[in-house]
Amino acid sequence: MDFTFTEDQQLLADSVATFLHREVTPERIRASWEGEGSDTRLWQQLVELGLPAMLVPEEHGGLGMNELDFIQIAQECGRVALAEPLVEMAMIATPMLAQLAAGSQPCARVLQQIAAGEARVAIGHPLNPAVADAGIADWLLLASGREVHLVPSDAATLIRQDSVDPSRRLYTPEWDRTAPTYRVAGEEAGAAAWCAALNRGAVLNAALLLGLAQGMVAQSVTYAGDREQFGRPIGANQAVKHHMANCAVQAEFARSPIYRAAYAVAQDPARAHIAASHAKLAAGEAALLAAKNAIQVHGAMGYTWECNLHIWAKRAWALEKNWGDAGFHQERLHAWLLEDTTDIGAEHTFDYPAPEALDSAA
Amino acid sequence: MQLSFSAEDEQFREEVAGWLQRNLTGEFEQLKFRGGPGDEHMFPQERKAWEQKLAEGGWTCVGWPRAYGGRGCSIEQQVIFFEEYARAGAPGRVGHIGEGLAGPTIIAFGSQAQKEKYLPGIVAGTELWCQGYSEPGAGSDLANVRTRARFDATRNQWLITGQKVWTSLAHESDYCFIIARTDPDSAAHQGLGFFLVKMDQPGIEIRPIQQITGTSEFNEVFFDDAECGADDIVGAPGEGWKVAMGLLGFERGVSTLGQQMLFQNELDEIVNIARDNGAARDPVIRQRIADAHIGLKIMRYNSLRMLSGSEDGSLQQEALIYKLYWASWHRDLGELAMDVLGMQSEILEAPPYELSRLQSMYLFVRSDTIYGGTNEIQRNIIAERGLGMPREPKVQIKVQDSQ
Repeated sequence: MDFTFTEDQQLLADSVATFLHREVTPERIRASWEGEGSDTRLWQQLVELGLPAMLVPEEHGGLGMNELDFIQIAQECGRVALAEPLVEMAMIATPMLAQLAAGSQPCARVLQQIAAGEARVAIGHPLNPAVADAGIADWLLLASGREVHLVPSDAATLIRQDSVDPSRRLYTPEWDRTAPTYRVAGEEAGAAAWCAALNRGAVLNAALLLGLAQGMVAQSVTYAGDREQFGRPIGANQAVKHHMANCAVQAEFARSPIYRAAYAVAQDPARAHIAASHAKLAAGEAALLAAKNAIQVHGAMGYTWECNLHIWAKRAWALEKNWGDAGFHQERLHAWLLEDTTDIGAEHTFDYPAPEALDSAA
Repeated sequence: MQLSFSAEDEQFREEVAGWLQRNLTGEFEQLKFRGGPGDEHMFPQERKAWEQKLAEGGWTCVGWPRAYGGRGCSIEQQVIFFEEYARAGAPGRVGHIGEGLAGPTIIAFGSQAQKEKYLPGIVAGTELWCQGYSEPGAGSDLANVRTRARFDATRNQWLITGQKVWTSLAHESDYCFIIARTDPDSAAHQGLGFFLVKMDQPGIEIRPIQQITGTSEFNEVFFDDAECGADDIVGAPGEGWKVAMGLLGFERGVSTLGQQMLFQNELDEIVNIARDNGAARDPVIRQRIADAHIGLKIMRYNSLRMLSGSEDGSLQQEALIYKLYWASWHRDLGELAMDVLGMQSEILEAPPYELSRLQSMYLFVRSDTIYGGTNEIQRNIIAERGLGMPREPKVQIKVQDSQ
């Protein structure tokens, strides 16, 4: 057993983190709220770093890496509140295309385009309220029943939906569901693909949520050290610092289930239900607590639009409800734990069996 | 103990309900369920007209003594008034700072001239008030006020210079009550004055603060030698803190009942959504709805019990626990609302940033645990003043020159 990242994985994550912290500033995020919201130059930089191509298999021109290579990068994207759709595209849509590419020429072609930095893909899982960033995508992965449709974005009508998080650009797509050229997976293969996508989505969102929590704690710790009342920094008060300590504990304890779940989806996403749900729940709780306590520690400033904190807090509130909300993931855990046949004995530290009955694509 | 209303009170209830039914119509129809927490910036002019409509019927300042233009209602009748007001969906009271805070303070501490000058406008719903307590450097540490008031004998005016912040509805208000330092060499609670200041004057500039809701009901207010008449200081120079603290007692009195009724409306809406969208089948949601109901009933019973034993409709010792309880309860209610809405909770009503009532409430409740004394300050007060525990170590500081 080795529950650590390789040196290569760590180096990559660190260098991407350095880039993100330098480039993704709150000012840049706010600027993206105007207009269609895409920061084209930033996306180009992400492409130059090879990030969208990481999970494209080598035979389609990509780097052939996996979710474990990417999970810490996703966390860093959360920490800086990156608004660009890197994570959904690179870690959820791309592996789904790869999963279907063997039986689908269009999927293989789009993978090539992703690897070349020429195409962006948005994904619309039925468990999400809308399709994020469909407006700037070239291709849409959409669900029609359990079928998977790969639709050129200009062939779909996109109805804009505004999110509580001004960084998130949501759309409800309408397209010709009967056109045979769009269908890249039928009912059966589609169900498996959506199920895998949900597990990946839950894990990746968990990493984003963890990063958001860490980002909010960092800002609040700084603020509590700067802001003075009663002649000393407010962070000197136990009541204030305990808020941050509670958040740090939650966030730190969300890390292990997330990394464990990333390992599970890298091994076999269709059998990662329980690990994925666990990760999403732990991270969601950590992010919501961080948002709550960070605003509290910022006092009235934390309630203003001017203060950057709400960029993170609103992202956390939105993502916590995506890729299955807490109720959905709790239900998956309960249903599995309470099955007569479930074996959760001492020897099952790492091998969660995937309950086939829990078809998450439904 | 007698937990029911008298026949006379029930008749009063019919009177209130009947009046609201007849008058919350026409141009006022659009105000139903508006102007509550997170929605306070909406329809200010229309809601001011509504205040005047209420005044015509004698329904402003219902708990004030008749001598000051009030209705002189008993506690029971005030309870009934707030119940019926909420049940009818009548709008958030844009005059509440005048009626609930400024007026009672002037009645308790003001001069005869101040009573004659200011109370009629509050009763008539024609003059709105805002509150100037917090400053950039005086939040939790409210006594660290640096706004200065110096008396100019030649003009017979106080001249006020400084900055207030988080001032609700300043841009709609005719007057502001503020605490300012009358003795420049003083520190903390000493040397403050309580002033009644006219808002429409060259020395005052109001800048809206955009909140996380995207809207602006709070403001920054800048005073640059703003004038305040020699007769418009409440109490003597140096007594400002005493007056300001007296006011806090009114803040936690019968007006809490009206607030609870707004909460009840919010909870009802959440329950209805949970029934409709299936969230009510989730056992965790069911438990949280029950908890929310219990919490609201606790607040209500607590207020009613305390008010029953109060002579003037103010809460004293009990006020210590109330702010922490309701603010935390309301924040939890916001989270419950979003969890009941599930993935739809993210989607706004309309561009550019129009929130639904519950979304707005969810964001607004983030300020509940901060304004009027943060939860952390409230816990210190409960522990130190309520339980007599040792005080937090305080650092002595000298007020610096704010120029």
